[in-house]
Amino acid sequence: MANTIPLSPAELSYLHTSLSQTPPIRPDGRSPTQFRPLVAETDILPSANGSARICFADGTEAIVGVKAEVEKSSARPGATTDDIFKNSRDQDGDVDVDREESDKEGKGRDEWLEIAIEIPGMRDDDSLPVFLSAMLTEALLSDGGLKDRLWINSRFHWRLYIDILLLSQPRSYPLPLLSLTTHLALISTRIPALISEHDEDPLFNDDWEASTFLYPRSGELQARSKPPVTLLVVSIGEAVLFDPSRDELAVCDSAMAISVAQSAGAGLKVVALRMIDPPSRLTAGGVPQVLNSTSNPAATASLSPAEALVLREKDQGQTVWRPPRGGVRRAIISRIIKMVVENNGVGEEVIAGLAGVEA
Amino acid sequence: MAITILAPAPPPAPAHNRRVSTDDEDDLDIDDLPSGHATHSTNIITPGQTVTDDVQWMRGHGTFAEADSTAIRSTLAGTLQKTNKLLSIVPLRARYTPEIGDLVIGRIVEVQSRRWKVDVAAPLLANLLLSSINLPGGILRKRTSVDELNIRSFFGEGELLVAEVQSLFQDGSASLHTRSLKYGKLRNGYFMAVSGMGGGSGVVRAKRQIFTMQTARGGEVDVLLGVNGYIWIAKHVEEEQETVGINRLEETASAKMYSSQNDEISLETRREISKIAGCIRALVDGGVKVEEERIRWAYDANLELDETEGETEYLGGERGKAIVEIVLGGG
Repeated sequence: MANTIPLSPAELSYLHTSLSQTPPIRPDGRSPTQFRPLVAETDILPSANGSARICFADGTEAIVGVKAEVEKSSARPGATTDDIFKNSRDQDGDVDVDREESDKEGKGRDEWLEIAIEIPGMRDDDSLPVFLSAMLTEALLSDGGLKDRLWINSRFHWRLYIDILLLSQPRSYPLPLLSLTTHLALISTRIPALISEHDEDPLFNDDWEASTFLYPRSGELQARSKPPVTLLVVSIGEAVLFDPSRDELAVCDSAMAISVAQSAGAGLKVVALRMIDPPSRLTAGGVPQVLNSTSNPAATASLSPAEALVLREKDQGQTVWRPPRGGVRRAIISRIIKMVVENNGVGEEVIAGLAGVEA
Repeated sequence: MAITILAPAPPPAPAHNRRVSTDDEDDLDIDDLPSGHATHSTNIITPGQTVTDDVQWMRGHGTFAEADSTAIRSTLAGTLQKTNKLLSIVPLRARYTPEIGDLVIGRIVEVQSRRWKVDVAAPLLANLLLSSINLPGGILRKRTSVDELNIRSFFGEGELLVAEVQSLFQDGSASLHTRSLKYGKLRNGYFMAVSGMGGGSGVVRAKRQIFTMQTARGGEVDVLLGVNGYIWIAKHVEEEQETVGINRLEETASAKMYSSQNDEISLETRREISKIAGCIRALVDGGVKVEEERIRWAYDANLELDETEGETEYLGGERGKAIVEIVLGGG
């Protein structure tokens, strides 16, 4: 993104004015909350526990594979023998699912989840992949539910490797693409059914048909629990736009990545929120007609630099493009969060849309 | 509905029936091919594939022959073009190759001491010399060192311009000029890039690359189709017709020549510009070549559909397909 050529001041000004109208006029005619159509499929990698592929309309494409491995838990520094006893005391068989779920609560550990992002043309330690993987990991972990599901018994746990591969050049900010694909891969992830009980060495059912979904699909409460999705939202003036295209990102006042997750029994909740440095800040401002030395050289030559600066500042980006300054207003942030998490809001629609994707 | 998720679909079957041949693929029946480039040809040749080893054919663009054999092999992925006894391969998709006289839209990438480097979607950046632009205050004015110092006041990095390819360098890169009132810096509009001349769908060379469309509600809109596949859609601005001497005319024309300040553009015009852009995008997605006639048809088709199926701003998906169908049906 950094090495792309900036847009011209006239273009930026045109786009900014169009997009800050109510309703905004987006260059491709979408409504503010409309996403570009995307192509998605799941279960594409036979050797992975879960996988998905998503193609965006602009040609960017990502594949995510989820692989689970059994690993021996090392003793937790703070853990007492009490914890272990508490689990082994629960001998009276007949463990129902809800009970098991509550047993696991709080036992998951952050390091059981590993995310690797591969973006073509970028090194592993470049800032973009590092930032993206931090953001996705943050959302997955703060959800809480996921790491607890990886707990098998007090001696063993699942280790989840999520490998995210961007197949195309990142033409716009790849965060929403990667996040949606990860979500899709996680809801299709299945882990073998456990046969052994309690603290025995884990033994699993060979039958893949009997495997259980990491995010259960049936059952009263658990079916509602969903991995987080991260949406990219930009604000331009008073307008709030979802799924910004490259042009829209180039003129936005602020860009925000907002992760929402659906927890069992409750609606959507925000699990992570990050501001993203918008590329519009790196652009050059336009020169107002009054200061244009090519059209009226005599007038501009008589202006001192200070006077010219005053003229520019007075313009306030009204007639020509001026890169955005300062932060984003709290009212806009709260409006964005509300639009995402409210009932029948954008977040619910996206999660419902992704739930309908077939293998 | 906020999000549309489609299932992956296999690539669309070619519109024309594929000739079922049981022959070996290496053995093309060149004699049966019509002369000229068959646009509907589905017989794709891959790099390295032997086109023929018959000595009667001559090899043209996109082919090579090894030193010790007479077999003609392809260097490109594309379809075969036969011109009398000359065989050449037309690539399926290629970057734009500049030709003298082409109208192109470019974006300034780099500012050097006496020239600009311009991105015109060609393999190499094009050059725009300071001496080949219209300097304000009349074309007869001499280029001075002051102009050299002020080079960024004419064009800065990222700025868009429309120009003509004046000449080609040895390495195939283009030298542009904007020495006409038609050419120069672009403002008041929206830029989009599709693929240009060189295969695939995109802009084709046509009689007119610049035209003005009368839109339903937004007044007149200019569409500039760069041969390199860059497109500029802008509000039409009437040139002030002052009856002045020939030198004065230059001055009035140049007053706003290098301005980066947009004029007032009404909301309706902005909507129409976005609709025309949507029509062009639909045409490209539908694999239709972009040219003046087709854009006009697509725009009219969209107006008709607005009446029959209700107005919509978003011209992708089903609406886009409907537009392409009407355009292919002949307007």
